[in-house]
Amino acid sequence: MPADLEFENLVNVYYRDLYRFGLSLTGSEADAADLTQQTFYIWANKGNQLQKPASVKTWLFTTLHREFLKTCRRQNRFSHESIDERTEDLPTVPANCADRADSQTLLRILGEMAEDFRAPLVLYYMEDLSYKEIADVLALPLGTVQSRIARAKIQLLRRLSETNLPVEQAK
Amino acid sequence: MNTRDAKQILLLYRGTIDDLDPQFHAALAYAKSDPGLAEWLRAQTKCYDTIQATLREIEPPLGLSEKIVRRRPIPFHCDWSRILQLAAVILISATVTALLMKWSERRHVSGAGPQEILVTGEVLDMTCYIASNLSGPDHAKCARDCIRSGLPAGIKAQDGKVYLLTGGPGHSINAEVADYAAKTVTIKGKQTVRDGFAQLQVEEIRKL
Repeated sequence: MPADLEFENLVNVYYRDLYRFGLSLTGSEADAADLTQQTFYIWANKGNQLQKPASVKTWLFTTLHREFLKTCRRQNRFSHESIDERTEDLPTVPANCADRADSQTLLRILGEMAEDFRAPLVLYYMEDLSYKEIADVLALPLGTVQSRIARAKIQLLRRLSETNLPVEQAK
Repeated sequence: MNTRDAKQILLLYRGTIDDLDPQFHAALAYAKSDPGLAEWLRAQTKCYDTIQATLREIEPPLGLSEKIVRRRPIPFHCDWSRILQLAAVILISATVTALLMKWSERRHVSGAGPQEILVTGEVLDMTCYIASNLSGPDHAKCARDCIRSGLPAGIKAQDGKVYLLTGGPGHSINAEVADYAAKTVTIKGKQTVRDGFAQLQVEEIRKL
């Protein structure tokens, strides 16, 4: 397949997912679009170095996340809520707990989380990536990723319940 | 395993995508025997699906994909075999060009080598001709004296081209051409060119 067509196909397959990931990380549409573009431009220059074609998706998400971290280091403008360390109290999750939350509400809640927790949680929800792949994208140990997802998920469910429904704490 | 442990594990369970992940197998089996846990699991997977669907409703700005494709940078892949091929082509081209230039130079030099010709024109005293543009019958005496005294002689052909007249190696032609100064003659000789200056090595002089 010609390189131009291959690139176009790749963009069409992944740009939505990358944009959503970027938007969840940055909370800004413009920054998300920039990150998405930057990711594909890096692919255009370095993608041929990828040994396993099957890991293209992971490579793209890893690259976007790295670019985001670079931006964070440059701007250092985000203030985030740290995640409560207690994981013992699992909330009882009503089946309709997220029914009334629109994407803007979800993005707002995600944006209030520390980046360390937000990125794994977004990948957990948005992409059909295995935990191993999420760990690869974020360059973190598998156990750390799972721990952060669990803690961030509890936080998200609590916030959603506060927004929509009363939360019952599991005993 | 108890319900609490199973819940801790199944908090990360997303449904079909995690069915093959062995870390969930035992907890899922336990949930089958615990109706309360099974209900909790159904609720949390439904909640997962809802959140995922909501997040996936987010659409990128219109035209983003076209913009990305349009502004795609042209990659430079460091392919050493291609670079070496290019270097070889450049080297071969440079060699061929150099050889052609040398061949052309030689051809030009060989073209300027001795060539027998006939030139008809006025015999000149080159010193007066070049310095003061003097020639013709009015200058005949001066020209004859100058040539005889050893100053260079020449012939101006009918086409206007001027040749310096020379003898053979080590032989001056002045004595032979001095009597023809300012007269029109035909000289047979070998034409050569040195540094762009035409010379005629005299072999035979015919007075018209």
